[in-house]
Amino acid sequence: MSEPLQEALRRSFVSLEKQREVWRSVLEECSPLMEALGNLAEQMSALTRVQLLDTPLRVFPQLEELLRVKLLQAADTVLQRLGENMCRLQSIRDSISSQASALLQQYQQSSVDLTMLTERSATVPSLADMLQWIQDAERFYRQQFLQRKALLQTLRPDQLLLLESAPKRWKSLESPSADQQITDSLCRLSLFIQPQ
Amino acid sequence: MQRVKLLLPDPADRGSQRCRLGPGLMSALSLRLGSPLLVSVPGGSCLCTAWPRSDLAEGFLQMDLKCIAPTLISQPPVHLSLEPRHLTPVSCPKLRGVKVTVVVQSAGFRKHTPAWVVHELVKDMLKGVYVHKQYVVNMEDYDTEIRFVVIDGIRPDSDSAGMVTSKTAVEISGIQTLRHYKSQLLDQHTPPLGGLDEVSASLREMLQLPLMYPNTLSSLGVSCPRGVLLIGPPGVGKTLLVHKVVGEVGASLVVVRGPEVVGSRPGESEETLRAVFERARSAAEEGPCVLFLDELDSLFPRRTGSSAPENRLVAQLLTLMDGMNRSDRFLIVGATNRPDSLDPALRRPGRFDREVIIGAPTVQQRKAILTVLCERMPVCPRLNMTELAQITTGYVGADLSALCREAAMHALRQKVKGSGKQEVEMKHFLEALKSVHPSSLRSSLGRTELSSVLWEHIGGLDQVKVKLRQSIEWPMRYPEAFVRLGLSRPHGVLLYGPPGCAKTTLVKAAASFSHCAFLSVSGADLYSSYVGDSEKALALLFRQARSCAPCILFLDEIDSLIGSRSNNQTPNSVQTRLLSVLLNEMDGIGLRVLERRGTGKILQTEGVQETHTEELDSQEVCNKDVMVVAATNRPDCLDSALLRPGRLDHIIYVPPPDQQARVAILKACTRSMPVDPDVCLEELAAKTELYSGADLENLCKEAALLALLEENMEASSISHTHFLRSLSKMSPSLTAQQIQAYLSPSR
Repeated sequence: MSEPLQEALRRSFVSLEKQREVWRSVLEECSPLMEALGNLAEQMSALTRVQLLDTPLRVFPQLEELLRVKLLQAADTVLQRLGENMCRLQSIRDSISSQASALLQQYQQSSVDLTMLTERSATVPSLADMLQWIQDAERFYRQQFLQRKALLQTLRPDQLLLLESAPKRWKSLESPSADQQITDSLCRLSLFIQPQ
Repeated sequence: MQRVKLLLPDPADRGSQRCRLGPGLMSALSLRLGSPLLVSVPGGSCLCTAWPRSDLAEGFLQMDLKCIAPTLISQPPVHLSLEPRHLTPVSCPKLRGVKVTVVVQSAGFRKHTPAWVVHELVKDMLKGVYVHKQYVVNMEDYDTEIRFVVIDGIRPDSDSAGMVTSKTAVEISGIQTLRHYKSQLLDQHTPPLGGLDEVSASLREMLQLPLMYPNTLSSLGVSCPRGVLLIGPPGVGKTLLVHKVVGEVGASLVVVRGPEVVGSRPGESEETLRAVFERARSAAEEGPCVLFLDELDSLFPRRTGSSAPENRLVAQLLTLMDGMNRSDRFLIVGATNRPDSLDPALRRPGRFDREVIIGAPTVQQRKAILTVLCERMPVCPRLNMTELAQITTGYVGADLSALCREAAMHALRQKVKGSGKQEVEMKHFLEALKSVHPSSLRSSLGRTELSSVLWEHIGGLDQVKVKLRQSIEWPMRYPEAFVRLGLSRPHGVLLYGPPGCAKTTLVKAAASFSHCAFLSVSGADLYSSYVGDSEKALALLFRQARSCAPCILFLDEIDSLIGSRSNNQTPNSVQTRLLSVLLNEMDGIGLRVLERRGTGKILQTEGVQETHTEELDSQEVCNKDVMVVAATNRPDCLDSALLRPGRLDHIIYVPPPDQQARVAILKACTRSMPVDPDVCLEELAAKTELYSGADLENLCKEAALLALLEENMEASSISHTHFLRSLSKMSPSLTAQQIQAYLSPSR
């Protein structure tokens, strides 16, 4: 087997494990923010439904506008914080992506032939499998990031229903089975990574 | 190298653009892991990256359809076995730029999402993907609103394929909805349409004009027609026409199907209808759009006095059609075969501005349809389409396609049996004609199955035969001669003469020779206990006959069917009313508009010059009219208005057979009988003065029965004495006085 490529793969998987932890923690930070966003949307829709003139609150002038501005500001802050988190997610995705493409490039420049590529043993999976797993992981994070980004970017303050359902949709984007596959492949690699 | 079997893609590979191959095949094709590979399958090809199978098995291939030819979207390849030559490695340099069209799921996303967001998403999605010019990149695995990305062009365009990197510039040339894109794809391969060129041209014009010259129209201050009503009998291709034209123009089509709209709760139907209009409106923003209401009569019937739920639906449609602004650039097309049952409010300019009537096809149109239908069939090159078109009178497009299918099935059956080549020949069509009848006649009350009678089966009457052929067969067979001499087809023929002289049989022979539809009607079909029902039935019969003209309408015993106005006791009897209907139908003021044959003439801005060729004219002679053939043995009972030229113009006397004719009749009757050589038919003929044809036939029958009686069922032939003895027991059914009455010009 090609030693430099194996070495590079080992490094990538180790870093992938670390990146996963970071990704998970960022997502955990995001979910309360999304909840907050959903709450704000609910308040906004309640505000549009209520007839303030029929309530004792009518004594306050321009109450509705003020409330709306306040809510929108709050939503803006939440979105801003979400955006910061998205940036962190993006940097994770970018680093995984660059690792995967660098690995493929390294393979293409090396002279590893197909038999070496598909050779596997009890402790060490074949290079082809490992390249596949790293690519699969990269695809998973790319997809996850893109879906979340699309969700956030299509939110608009005038579509409250969409905004209200945002936390639910955010949660539904988690795809445990794909995540489990990455865990599986990392488990299969545990013997390979351990010598480190 | 061995063939490889195409399996369904591995779900884990979804969106990875991988093509799983055996390592042996990979090294044979000198592919490395991740090298781009073009896989050709029937109908298109797919660009993917080579990857060894994880089980290293040879002989199988699984590919993820990420970047495919557009044709493969609707029909992904399955159950195929590919040869290694179908796999070609391609070189994919890094691209400097791609130009794409984005296909999104919903119109709302297209409308509201800012361009930079879409651009950013698409750029992210395309990163690392190998793309091919004119191919489609499937983005469904991302599960966002963006479904497909169509690669319009790549830079540098010296290569046909390449890889998108983070440095590749992505230019979005347009955003379409999935529905629009798919309809565009579908429309690229609809079958051509025969014989409806004029109508489709006018429809196309209506769709394209406002798009091509929007400024001209607005400066003229006119709005283009917004609604078209297609009227025509079932099966002439109304629905197909709309689909076809929409496909040619590249418009999107919103179809309203009856059951989809009608809901159970009050107000539900109206709501659905509004939603349909909304859908059309949003589709119209992307390009030309047609809202197609098929079977309009079932959805929007004539409003009645009571508060039926349909009334509200009709009212909703009316308001929706009125509410269309000039900015709503979509065309409403309705199709119906029962325009009379539509609500009259729908049929005014501003709603359905134009009404296009598509009649049953004429000879030329049938020929065009048949040519189109036979294009994809292995037809014998000697097959004469013109002849086939001539004998299929009354067949509409749907019937013709059924006919072709049936003929092909006959050819197939013959081939399975081992005889004959795989070619559809005329005989197969003739065979199929027996089982496929024109649909316009399916429910007709006068439809009769004829056993074909040859002219030779009728003895004597040569004069009458010639006259009948003149009036029935000639206009069908030699239309060009009729045009040359400025003749028109006779409207009607009356055969009169004593009973039993083969009037009915003559008509049968004429019908079987002239290849036209034949309807026969008797009193039992027409009379009904309801007032007005009989007249309606007769008018309907004429309408049906006209729809499949040229057609022979045979009224046997017309004297009892239709009375005379002069000598009747009751002036308002059913007979008189039927007579007035018949007079009107035969030579009335004109045809109803709806019964127009062919497509009629449609005004067009393109200015298609009407060229009256002789061919067209002769076709007109053929298609013009229904020929009424009546038979009676009491011509004096007929109304004189019926007998004037223009109605029953040929009045033919069918005389009782003279001696020569009787010989001929006897010969015809005894053709299937074993007769002794000593039987002298001439002598019999001489002895049977005043015998009618029916009498003579009866005579032969009696003689045969007598022979059986005498020789106790073992008779092998009939002798002359049998004839003579049975003759002695019979008397002629005609009298000289009776015949004299026919001959005297008393009428």
